[in-house]
Amino acid sequence: MTPNRMSQLSVLPFTTILTVFTGLPLLMVVLLSFWTFDGLEYRPEFTLANFAAVFSSPVTWKIFGNTLRYAAITWAITLVLGFAVSFYLVFHVRNLKLQIGLFLLCTIPFWTSTVIRMISWIPFLGREGLFNTGLMQLGLIDQPLEFLLFSDFAVILTYVNLFTLFMIVPIFNAMAKIDKNVIEAALDAGATGFQILRTIIIPLSRTGIALGTIFVVTLVMGDFFVVRVMSGGQSSTVVSAMKNNIDQMYYPQAAAMAVLLIAVVLGMVATILRVVDVRAELAK
Amino acid sequence: MQSKLTFWLLTAVFVLFILFLYGPMIAIFILSFQGPTGGMTFPLRGMSLHWFADLFESSRYGDLGGAFMRSIILGLLAMVITVTVSFFAGLGFRRKFRGSGVLFYLAIISLVMPGVLTGLGIGTLFTTLGLRTNWLISGLGAHLTWTLPFGLLIMFAVLNRFNGSWEEAARDAGAKRTQVLTQVTLPILFPGLIAVALFGLTLSYDEFPRSLLTIGTKNTLPLQVASLTSNVTTPALYAIGTLTTALSLLVIAAAFAAIALTGRKR
Amino acid sequence: MHSETNAARVSRRTMLKTLAGAGAGSVLGAPMIWAQSLKDVTLMHVGPSYSIFEDIAAAASADLGFKVEMQNAWTDAIMARVVSQPDTIDIADLEFWAMQRIWRSQKLQAIDTAKITNWDKIIPLFREGRNFDGSDMSRQGTMPFEVQFAEGEGFASAPNGRATMMPTIFNADTLGIRPDLIGRDVTSWAELLNPEFKGKVALINVPQIGIMDAAMAIEARGDLTYIDKGNMTRDEIDATIAILIKAKQDGQFRAFWSSFDESVNFMASGEAVIQSMWSPAVTAVRGRGIDCVYKGLKEGYRGWGNGLGLMSHLEGIKLEAAYEYLNWMLTGPYGAFVARQGYYSSVPETTKASLSAEEWDYWYGGKPAAVEIKDPFGTVMEQPGRSRDGGSFEDRIGAIRCWNTTMDEGEYLVQRWNDFVAS
Repeated sequence: MTPNRMSQLSVLPFTTILTVFTGLPLLMVVLLSFWTFDGLEYRPEFTLANFAAVFSSPVTWKIFGNTLRYAAITWAITLVLGFAVSFYLVFHVRNLKLQIGLFLLCTIPFWTSTVIRMISWIPFLGREGLFNTGLMQLGLIDQPLEFLLFSDFAVILTYVNLFTLFMIVPIFNAMAKIDKNVIEAALDAGATGFQILRTIIIPLSRTGIALGTIFVVTLVMGDFFVVRVMSGGQSSTVVSAMKNNIDQMYYPQAAAMAVLLIAVVLGMVATILRVVDVRAELAK
Repeated sequence: MQSKLTFWLLTAVFVLFILFLYGPMIAIFILSFQGPTGGMTFPLRGMSLHWFADLFESSRYGDLGGAFMRSIILGLLAMVITVTVSFFAGLGFRRKFRGSGVLFYLAIISLVMPGVLTGLGIGTLFTTLGLRTNWLISGLGAHLTWTLPFGLLIMFAVLNRFNGSWEEAARDAGAKRTQVLTQVTLPILFPGLIAVALFGLTLSYDEFPRSLLTIGTKNTLPLQVASLTSNVTTPALYAIGTLTTALSLLVIAAAFAAIALTGRKR
Repeated sequence: MHSETNAARVSRRTMLKTLAGAGAGSVLGAPMIWAQSLKDVTLMHVGPSYSIFEDIAAAASADLGFKVEMQNAWTDAIMARVVSQPDTIDIADLEFWAMQRIWRSQKLQAIDTAKITNWDKIIPLFREGRNFDGSDMSRQGTMPFEVQFAEGEGFASAPNGRATMMPTIFNADTLGIRPDLIGRDVTSWAELLNPEFKGKVALINVPQIGIMDAAMAIEARGDLTYIDKGNMTRDEIDATIAILIKAKQDGQFRAFWSSFDESVNFMASGEAVIQSMWSPAVTAVRGRGIDCVYKGLKEGYRGWGNGLGLMSHLEGIKLEAAYEYLNWMLTGPYGAFVARQGYYSSVPETTKASLSAEEWDYWYGGKPAAVEIKDPFGTVMEQPGRSRDGGSFEDRIGAIRCWNTTMDEGEYLVQRWNDFVAS
């Protein structure tokens, strides 16, 4: 068996499953976005009307902008937070057992239902919630802060709460692999902490950063539930708008919007992978 | 090597992060012990096990036990398949082969495709083919579109650390291909596979948007909980959260114990 | 004859029943062979949360001798499943307006009203499209009668014995308010847009229903008059959304709710003091000892009705079982169950027999509670002496001014609604 065949055989189950459950359904959605729909069933007649409607509507651009804004802010916060936490665990916690223990501590909330973790913020942030009553009892405010709940703030807070772990795991993994001797050598050569961070740690963690970025960005851009509940329905993203269409059985525009969204996210991921080729790292 | 200042600063960040992570969860656990007349928010009106008992006694929660079982079964199946399939896929991806680029991007698409849409696509596909959606077939398939790309990417990270020359050495020493696989590759990659397994299990166990249109007539736990939010407005919801978290932590603890035991034997 | 097995006897009995029920004409022709007996049948009833109760499934299974299973799903998800995955449902529990969208898919079969024992006891609203006193009802939106009887892929304008769905529950929806936090009387839908309640108003986040609640308020305030609030033109949609966007930017709305529990929590925690609401949500808030009123307003109510539809794939003995189940649903226990969360049954007569006299007077009569009134799950939600707002069954239903619906410009509406939410 040639190595080429060997590899192809090895990935065969993977290929099969993804072809059936991602490839074909995606093809279906792409087809639907070009077909006419009578409110009930599709007719295989080619049309560009769905895309025309999506492109011509100012709503589309507004919600794409909104989605990208959420993704960018969440990404920035989770990156800084995820990097700091991983850095702390890898380089400041010397005891290996303690390190693993603290790492697990970060992952435990991951095993609670996302729905429940999300709604658990509501009693905290509400008008009569813990923060507001606490602050009012301390006499710091005399009116409850309204921006805490049902706002962009609440949405991003929840995203950060739910998704930072997806940043920590890959970055932690990448950092753990960095040879401590390299850093010692750099220190001996008189490098400052900042120089070491910039020239050694960040470059060597880039696979982790890239993977974490892909996870977080796709999670935010694919979400409809958090934005709907935590913004109190006052903000929308591409997928939450799409969900409104799907709920009412108006599929064609939803499909067109989806095709557009997948293209955008795929473009973003491809750019990330161009900068950091995750696969090339394997060849070493 | 770093100054004391950065150390304490980062310690503070870490502690605050943990508080941020656990705060709301702990609030939920406390609120699930709310007294019989208490609501879903503070203050507590007495402490009781009322809502836990209610879960078992009242019929308003539907087939909660069945939904939990289905989610666990689905999670375990997804875990086993994800580990096996992404293990071999990861090995296969170590060299470039014809179609590897396309396949890689299919995996990325699978990851970035909004779950609602994956569900819609699979549902429509099944209808078009005249098949019936069912949690064990279309449901499992939908979950795999989510867990497999994750598994593959983690395998990439794991294999990153793996040195191919160990396999070569074994082969030079006359080991057969299957022997190399079971006695060299597998044991070395074992900890990484645990990570893949945990991701596979929890991602599937908690899956919501992909399940919506693919699960057929039996709800999984997240679907059941989400639909309960449309007629249950008592701390019983929190009791479900507390109970299922406790159970899944037990499962995880059992898994770690098993690993520790087998590890000691080796 | 005496060598017959048990199972054969059962199916024979059912066959005879069918002959009696359907009239011999429909069964003449090819001889039917049913391999199953009635007790092996399992029916899958899929419905929305306010209609699906394990207690009811268990009671039906016990009374009927075959198994009834229930699955809880959102109305829109059920509609999509009827069309795209019909074999995952036997009995579809839908709002009447859904018929406008999906009846022509022919995934549901017409119900022979002659086989529904209590059909003639169903209130005239469904059967004839008339009010209790014989007067006409509002036809803004989808009045159930408009889609009640089937004719091919469309609807008949007069009763013809072939029903699209069997009516089960219905209600007159209005706004829920917190009288303790408002401190004065509220009598008009216009209060929804009153700046006095700035930041304390919530609206349902379902485009078709949310816009109608908004339209009730806008019309009450005198800004616009609609030709049909239940079927707006593009211009009317644009004008309505423009007013809503302005109100949103002025900070009028605290939030929009998508699920029942959100509406309960908004109200219970004081995030909202006036909002779109469902009757069981009001019951749930009151169950916590918080004052909340489902306020009857002078412009009237927004009505809706649910029914049970038979899927087309049902045939033979399974179809017979489905008819038996439909008949059972009108016998009282189900009507009494939903009555305790504030909904009305299409057959009040049998419901009355299953409720206590005090419960009947409170829920249907609009009279002050003579004893403590409990919700379906046994929690006390009303103290003696207080009464349900809006008066009696006849008063509330008679004051319905528009019906839940799907609009011809629905896709445009959803697009503009997304615009509103994103603004």
